[in-house]
Amino acid sequence: MIIQVKNLVCRLGDAAVVDDFSMAVDRGEVVVIIGPSGAGKSTFLRCLNAIEEFQAGEIVIDGIRVGKNQKNIHALRLEIGMVFQQFNLFPHLSVINNVMLAQRVVRKRSRAEAEAKGRQLLESVGLGDKIDAYPEQLSGGQKQRVAIARALAMDPRIMLFDEVTSALDPEMIGEVLEVMKNLAAAGMTMIVVSHEIGFAREVANRVIFLDKGKIVEEGPPSSVIDDPREQRTRDFLSKVL
Amino acid sequence: MLSWVAKQIVLYWDIFKYLIPAVPWTALITICAFALALILGLIVGVLRISKIKIVATIAGAYINVIRGVPLLVQIFFIYFGLGSILHLDRFSAGVIAVGICYSAYLAEIFRSGIEAIAHGQYEAAMSLGMTRFQTLRYVIIPQSLRIVIPPVANEFIASLKDSSLVSIIGLRELTRAGREYYSQYFVDFQTWLLVGLIYLTMTISLSRLVKYLEKVYSVAGYGSQKA
Ligand SMILES: Nc1ncnc2c1ncn2[C@@H]1O[C@H](COP(=O)(O)OP(=O)(O)OP(=O)(O)O)[C@@H](O)[C@H]1O
Ligand SMILES: [Mg+2]
Repeated sequence: MIIQVKNLVCRLGDAAVVDDFSMAVDRGEVVVIIGPSGAGKSTFLRCLNAIEEFQAGEIVIDGIRVGKNQKNIHALRLEIGMVFQQFNLFPHLSVINNVMLAQRVVRKRSRAEAEAKGRQLLESVGLGDKIDAYPEQLSGGQKQRVAIARALAMDPRIMLFDEVTSALDPEMIGEVLEVMKNLAAAGMTMIVVSHEIGFAREVANRVIFLDKGKIVEEGPPSSVIDDPREQRTRDFLSKVL
Repeated sequence: MLSWVAKQIVLYWDIFKYLIPAVPWTALITICAFALALILGLIVGVLRISKIKIVATIAGAYINVIRGVPLLVQIFFIYFGLGSILHLDRFSAGVIAVGICYSAYLAEIFRSGIEAIAHGQYEAAMSLGMTRFQTLRYVIIPQSLRIVIPPVANEFIASLKDSSLVSIIGLRELTRAGREYYSQYFVDFQTWLLVGLIYLTMTISLSRLVKYLEKVYSVAGYGSQKA
């Protein structure tokens, strides 16, 4: 068990956006979270690597325990990589420097080491020829692949993806999903918020349907997506399929 | 007529020769004061957005107090008030007064420059394990600096003009030199015209220089991701 979430509560304003949420994820497992807008999917991912403060419960990642006192959050974040819908690349840095910055200042790697790692990762996401470009010179799909390489450069044990293809033109979605599939095949533990149902069917070990901050239904894609028990899940799927 | 023109030229030249040695002092005060203002302003600007409430409040109070008191009064206070206790010479007192005054304006410029950077940048940096300080140092401030160059340059030019106020404590910069010339020879029109023209020459060349630097330092990749 690499991730254990126990009774997590995250309030934003007055509303409990994540409401008494518990789950466990095994090493190498790929969990896809689906659910309507405002369900709390992003908030949950942000709590998981402590970008968002939570008010109750605890998160244990690979033995690192984070409670609501927020101790250990730095160690926790080092274990977790995150990729965002809006890319959030650093616009003032070239592609290679985007991938090198945290390696240098957080992991304290030498320039040569960070650069070698960065090059190798950028090659692996198909961007070996873009290392000196700046983010604004890239397409959305390319930006997102840089963002994935940047997160991987920190050697995370877990990767979180928050609707990483939602801001992309349709013809670029495939190239990003491809990178994610390879990552899953390589054994990375992944939590993916996505409405790419094809991806969920093919890659997910488990699908969670989240609504109003609570798990409505969870199980293998063959049951949650293809044969949902709950009416709410069915209603939602009929809209996105 | 011709002799009048000739006399005028000689007069202007005479004033000019008298004023010119004071110009380096104006430049020196401005540069030292502005360097101080940049350092203090960056510190106060960062403290202003501190998560620690009391720190942010104190930084805010510093900004409000200093912006609310005329520079002339600050110069008097530092030279005659503090200066007599701390034994500050005219130059240090002038530099400190102008430096502190401008640090308050720059702090606000830096703060808004920092706040102009999208929240996603912090989240990305945090998710990579960077501390808040590292995030500011490597991600936020480098982007903010490019946003703040034009307003900071304006403040620099303004501080050059305001350096004339330190003439009041007897520091022999350009304005003081003008007053001295006037009180010796009682030519007011020509003296102040020339003083004004020298300031104008400096401010115009500076703003040209700033435009040029902005071009040179407009780095590829800046200004792409607004989201
Ligand atoms: N800062 C905030 N203060 C109060 N409420 C907030 C805040 N941020 C988000 N919310 C609310 O929290 C709820 C969950 O937001 P969240 O972004 O986690 O949903 P989501 O499932 O990711 O939705 P989407 O599919 O639109 O991304 C929403 O109803 C939103 O309005
Ligand atoms: Mg979301």
